[in-house]
Amino acid sequence: MKKAIGLALALALAAGTASAEGKLALYNWGDYINPLILKKFSEETGIEVSLDTYSSNEEMLAKIQAGATGYDLVFPSVHMHDIMMKLGLLEKTDINLSPDFKNIDPATFRSHEDPGAEYCLPYAFGTVGVFYNEDITGPITGWADFFDIPGKTGGKITILDDMREVMAVGMFMTGHSINSTDPDEVQEAADYILSKKPAVSAFTYESPALLLSGDIAAAHFFVGGHVYFTEKPNIKYVIPKEGATLYQEDMCMLKSAPHKEEAKRFMEFYLRPEIAALNVDQQFNGSANVPARDLVADYIKTNPNITLAPETLERVQTFVDLGKALKLYDRAWNTIRTAQ
Amino acid sequence: MALRRQSLVLSALLAPVTIFLGIFFLVPLGIIAVYSVLSPGLYGGVEWSFYHWNYGRIFGWADGIEEVFEPVYLKILLRSLGFGALTVILCLMLCYPVAFWVARLPERARLFFLFLVALPFFSSLIVRLYAWLLILKPSGILNETLLALGLIRAPLEILFTPAAVVLGMVYVMVPFMFLPLYAAIDNLDREMVEASMDLGASRRQTFFKVVLPQTLPGIIGGAVIVFIPSVGNFVVPDVLGGAKGLMVGNLVEQQFLSARNWPFGSALSMLIMAVVLVVLLVATARARKAGGQA
Repeated sequence: MKKAIGLALALALAAGTASAEGKLALYNWGDYINPLILKKFSEETGIEVSLDTYSSNEEMLAKIQAGATGYDLVFPSVHMHDIMMKLGLLEKTDINLSPDFKNIDPATFRSHEDPGAEYCLPYAFGTVGVFYNEDITGPITGWADFFDIPGKTGGKITILDDMREVMAVGMFMTGHSINSTDPDEVQEAADYILSKKPAVSAFTYESPALLLSGDIAAAHFFVGGHVYFTEKPNIKYVIPKEGATLYQEDMCMLKSAPHKEEAKRFMEFYLRPEIAALNVDQQFNGSANVPARDLVADYIKTNPNITLAPETLERVQTFVDLGKALKLYDRAWNTIRTAQ
Repeated sequence: MALRRQSLVLSALLAPVTIFLGIFFLVPLGIIAVYSVLSPGLYGGVEWSFYHWNYGRIFGWADGIEEVFEPVYLKILLRSLGFGALTVILCLMLCYPVAFWVARLPERARLFFLFLVALPFFSSLIVRLYAWLLILKPSGILNETLLALGLIRAPLEILFTPAAVVLGMVYVMVPFMFLPLYAAIDNLDREMVEASMDLGASRRQTFFKVVLPQTLPGIIGGAVIVFIPSVGNFVVPDVLGGAKGLMVGNLVEQQFLSARNWPFGSALSMLIMAVVLVVLLVATARARKAGGQA
């Protein structure tokens, strides 16, 4: 439902008194960029920035495919970055040739279609795991513990209303890749989730507020949820031991972008460590910008769940496009959501 | 001459609405109808080849390779129809007596009451549903109040259950039921009711032979207006039901977005429209019959 609200939010940030040299239109996920960055960019360049938001990759793709023009930069997840490359929707920016590009961690070049970052700039990444109220649940180390919470403590749990994320949990628990296209493996994962459905109170994105009020004991959620719990030491986050997904979004220029020059300037602006750090401080996730990682708040720098160690990165998986096999997942998902 | 002029004026007056409906209703409907028999593009959109499995998938006629028949879709449709029907019945039970009461209020009080009925439209549906989420959750206002009054010992588990979905649907739909009912009841011929009583009919007989037939068009009108959006509603089940029971509205949304299968989404939309059309035809026939009797 972030959808409906996010969609209606069209934030126009005027550049103050500076002469409007140009304009720039961003199309990003809701609450996924620090407004301060846009303000600083406008102040420095005189470029007027507008921001529209979406709540899923598919929503953005459908809109662009339907012919929406006027947007310059979009922020697809890695697998959507690949799809948009295949569909020829993205513009080559040569951002990898910019002097400050040396700041970018090559480990974040996760796109298969754009392995050298000639088109898009790796933007931000983070894990999807479990937030839990330790007072109720005790220590939680993984998905098995998570699904046991209702039976053991009477506390409630919620999982994300997201097909790929939920199916990924099933894949971890049955020992398969989250990108498996084998019908039997998809079925096994779905069966696992189905067996746990009675324990799940809801499929929702609205869990942080419910966790804060004590109405649920644990929730499947993005690492960025930390922002809600900085004052709550009893609410903890775990990257489940059986496996977790790593999301990453990249900043991409559309082929149909009306303000290509301004868009490139913004990408270069975002290469600066102090600018990227501003985003991390507000988003509580990982940055592709290596020097920026030292400039962020201590809470983030010292939190191994936000600032990921190399061994953590080795055990997380990132979604790739499933192509035709998406249908298998869709069928499984419909069955999961319909089962009583 | 005069007649020709009249018909010219009439055409001129009707032209805007005809053109409007033609462009914004028939053209999209045509697109959906055509898309529903095409094959899905890999990344959304359609491929221009005839493909009947979209309907086959729903009704049990699939090749088993490209598409598999799954009764789950019919189940989802039936469930949505059931929720729609339940919403209609509950709205009717709530609104019918209240409409009688309001119709008897003095003019000013009546206008004020009608204003209250329309009041929810001044704020967004999403915001109002989140308010319900806050009311219904275990630590919410409802449970806190009942606990404080000593009426319950433990918080009621309403949020994220089908009961919360029905409650939310009824809440959203009540004004749509109330207004046509009120219009019908306000127009009720009271003298006929009095005549019926004077002539020795019991209260029960008067209700079933005089009041009900006269208000039936309002009931049918309200029922249709409530039923159609209830069947397609997906916001209420998502927010208050915890997205645990898939409704046909969710299914269509999902096909156009996460499943990237526009043709199947179109086929499902056509199916909903067909069902709604049948309901509408039956309802109009009944209303006409009822109108003839009165």
